[in-house]
Amino acid sequence: MPSVQTGYAPNLKVFKQSLKTAPLESSIEYLISLLKRRQIKNSRPCAIATAELLRQVVAKSRWTDVGKLIARIQDVGQRLIEAQPREMAVGNIVRRVLGMVRDEANEDRTEDGSDTASSIGSPKRQHSHTELTSTQGPPPSSLRFSSTTEGSDLSEVNGDDVFGGRSTPSGRPPLMASHTSYAVVNGVPVQQSMFNLLSATPSPNATPSGPSGTNSPHGNHPLHATTLAERMIITSKDLRAEVINGIEEILDELEQVDDQIAAYAQEHIHSNEIILTHSSSVSVYKFLLKAAEKRKFTVIVAESYPNDHEETHLAAMGKMKDPESEEDGEGVYLKSLQAAGITVILMTDASVFAIMSRVNKVILATHAVIANGGLIAAAGARLIAKAAKVHRTPVIVVSGVYKLSPEYPFEFESLIEYGDPGNIVGYHDGTLVDNLEVDNPVYDYVPPDLVDLYITNLGAHAPSYLYRIVADHYKTEDINFHKPELQF
Amino acid sequence: MPSSDPPPMAEPLQMNPALVAAQYGAKAKGKQAASTQEASTPAPATAAPEEKKLTGAELKKKKQEEKAARRAQAIASKQVDVASPIAEPSPAAPAPAGSTPAPRTDGQEGARTQQRTAGPVSAGQRNIPVRQKQKAVAPAPIVPGKEDKTVEFFRHLYKTRTTSIAGASKEIHPAILALGLQMSNYTICGSCARLVATLQAFKRVIESYTTPPGNSLTRHLTSHVLSPQIDFLTSCRPISISMGNAIRWLKLEISKVDVDTPESEAKENLCNAIDVFLRERVTFADQIIAQSTADKIKDGDVIMTYAKSSIVQRSLVQAHNAGKKFKVIVVDSRPLHEGKHLATALVGLGMDVKYCLLNGLSHNIQDVTKVLLGAHAMMSNGRLFSRVGTALVAMEANEADKPVIVLCETIKFTERVALDSFVHNEIAPADELVIPGGALTNWENMKKLQLCNPMFDVTPAEYIQMIITESGNVPPTSVPVLHRLGNESQG
Repeated sequence: MPSVQTGYAPNLKVFKQSLKTAPLESSIEYLISLLKRRQIKNSRPCAIATAELLRQVVAKSRWTDVGKLIARIQDVGQRLIEAQPREMAVGNIVRRVLGMVRDEANEDRTEDGSDTASSIGSPKRQHSHTELTSTQGPPPSSLRFSSTTEGSDLSEVNGDDVFGGRSTPSGRPPLMASHTSYAVVNGVPVQQSMFNLLSATPSPNATPSGPSGTNSPHGNHPLHATTLAERMIITSKDLRAEVINGIEEILDELEQVDDQIAAYAQEHIHSNEIILTHSSSVSVYKFLLKAAEKRKFTVIVAESYPNDHEETHLAAMGKMKDPESEEDGEGVYLKSLQAAGITVILMTDASVFAIMSRVNKVILATHAVIANGGLIAAAGARLIAKAAKVHRTPVIVVSGVYKLSPEYPFEFESLIEYGDPGNIVGYHDGTLVDNLEVDNPVYDYVPPDLVDLYITNLGAHAPSYLYRIVADHYKTEDINFHKPELQF
Repeated sequence: MPSSDPPPMAEPLQMNPALVAAQYGAKAKGKQAASTQEASTPAPATAAPEEKKLTGAELKKKKQEEKAARRAQAIASKQVDVASPIAEPSPAAPAPAGSTPAPRTDGQEGARTQQRTAGPVSAGQRNIPVRQKQKAVAPAPIVPGKEDKTVEFFRHLYKTRTTSIAGASKEIHPAILALGLQMSNYTICGSCARLVATLQAFKRVIESYTTPPGNSLTRHLTSHVLSPQIDFLTSCRPISISMGNAIRWLKLEISKVDVDTPESEAKENLCNAIDVFLRERVTFADQIIAQSTADKIKDGDVIMTYAKSSIVQRSLVQAHNAGKKFKVIVVDSRPLHEGKHLATALVGLGMDVKYCLLNGLSHNIQDVTKVLLGAHAMMSNGRLFSRVGTALVAMEANEADKPVIVLCETIKFTERVALDSFVHNEIAPADELVIPGGALTNWENMKKLQLCNPMFDVTPAEYIQMIITESGNVPPTSVPVLHRLGNESQG
């Protein structure tokens, strides 16, 4: 909303500035309140805010071993998710950071060279580090990644009391009452473990009860106990730097993600095509701008009344806010589509079916993508996707990997947020306000069979492949970190 | 059924005297303005070439300025007069709408008149017609140097609307003038309401008609009197399919008048025929359809409907009055928000109503047991031609395996066919999409930005399970058959 960005209303920029000076605990509380009041909203700002906060958590909080750090991040992450469970990007970033901490810790441990397993594992692990953190990792990395997790699992057999993040329930707040309707076990991690099973590697994570197995081999290494303390002191410093580095790389990725996605635009948009899009999204906007560098085409915009139409109208008038310019405080706009040579036709949502037979491609933005290949997008997206399906028009979804969530609810309604009914029937409608039931969903769930292609910063994928990307980016043990009751 | 002398229907016409007086006043002024302008218009054309060598562009510019000033003056003087008749229907229209939440009596077509919030949109439109004073009927030529704001694939459908009586030919009957304006600003909106209002107005045209000496009514009335009226109505808003059917019937009726019939008798016969036609094809038809639909509504049903259809409203009210307990979900869309009128009317009766826009459609479709849709027309290939957005509702219902039932009088059946929404359609003025004070203000100045506001879309026949007509309940494949039967019985 424009009103949020004007004046001194707190937003992402204000939060970033306050992070520099405020003490950690108050920063956490501040972000929680911002999320609750939706003064930071939408995937990208939420993701950036979370990453910035976690950087401070790693840098400022006192921790002596990895287990404590993981517990601390889990605790903060849980509170953030609780504040705004439907901003799934928050949880995604927390999981990414957790996974990274685990990787870094594994790496440090094996670099000591005390494990026999490390001789096989470490070169691969090096790989995993670079791949995970590099923002432009090539898609094939996904295949290799599974082998490196095996390696790290091997080392965990020996070092689990050190990495005891799982076994410290004390630091965890009580069960969350909200969204218990979420899935019990994600389909994806099971797939991951199946993969490990088939690869016949002796890994404690091979079964779904993996994390509990990590506690069992306590007796294996009393030898390490003596050197443990001094090693921790050395490694924690390195680890801190490494983790902060990693978080900064995530932040870099968040900054570049739209441009990376846009790089695929010219493959998919051709001359004289008619593209239908919905609502206003920076990702889609940049995608179209990139394609317009070489091609002339027409874009039809459905305005997504009543929740997002103001922004859509502004974008159609060439006033799409540049997210990067927010630091300057001034509303600097992206280049308008029209200036790039695109003809823009603005239509109501109702006209979608009428013009669909002339549309060559539908490009949708998304709020979150879930592991089954479905997506959560601005309300009305489902109708558009279905109308496209009926007309056999391809539907392309443009989304950064950070929007990919490992959560897989059985009941999709739980992901839908309902907005202000006053946008539909206001008080000027008199008695209607009291007597009429009004519904204003903000998001739609679009099932995977309505989507033909996902374009992420890693490339283009079929919806059925997304679960692999989820598996590459999140560790099985982190998927339900915010729901202790679901952990084994 | 009491003889249908529908009082609310007459209402828009009853205000004619005042309106007409004002209009004539305005028209007289309009003519003056037009004549002064006519005098001035050729001047630059003839004078400019003569003196061009002397002063050239300067003189031309001066003349243009003079002309602009004169024109502005004419507008100013006219707006005082024109503003009042246009504003007049607005306070009058809520009267039927406000009073009809009570059980509707037969023939209250006036409840169909839907009032549109007279916003700055209509105020803005008022200035437009001045440019096309000489040719009110012809589509406005694209002003050279200005960007063409029409959307390419709808280009064949664009027609400018006459939104004032300025420049209307003197042979247009005042009743038609009033009706045209009411149609162009959606005061009278909806296929059936427009049909009834048109025939009522034609009745008045016929009543006030006298055959000029040396002519016969049969040969003169249609071509010299009715045609200009129809042209004017078309210029205000393209005529609906049902209006087209009725006009075709009326022309046939006139051509059948025996040349030897005395004029007064012939006129009376025609007026009676119009009454009978309206009673048979609209009033009784609506009664039968409403009864048939109300019978199909069961306790516990959840009925979804889109926008506003008078016949759907009537059916729901009838079912409610019969003591059925059911819930209605009204789906609506921008820019007309017609569904809000329906919801208001139903809520006034104490019915359980839920209201959402198209963005809530997917979320509500699962709870629905039946979808009732109104029609603008039924195409001969079984497709439904209705308010834009209807196809989305039907698609979603079909996907969720909910029965889609169309309520449609046979007068709306047409022999025309359409595969998509580009064949026939009506493109409403793009300015209707602009929210006052919103981001789109001055959108015309944005290069390469087009706003498109189609009025109708075409719903594929496979989404429709049943059409309830006064001749029975039929599948969409039977549309051409019923249409033919209807025409044969007429002929």
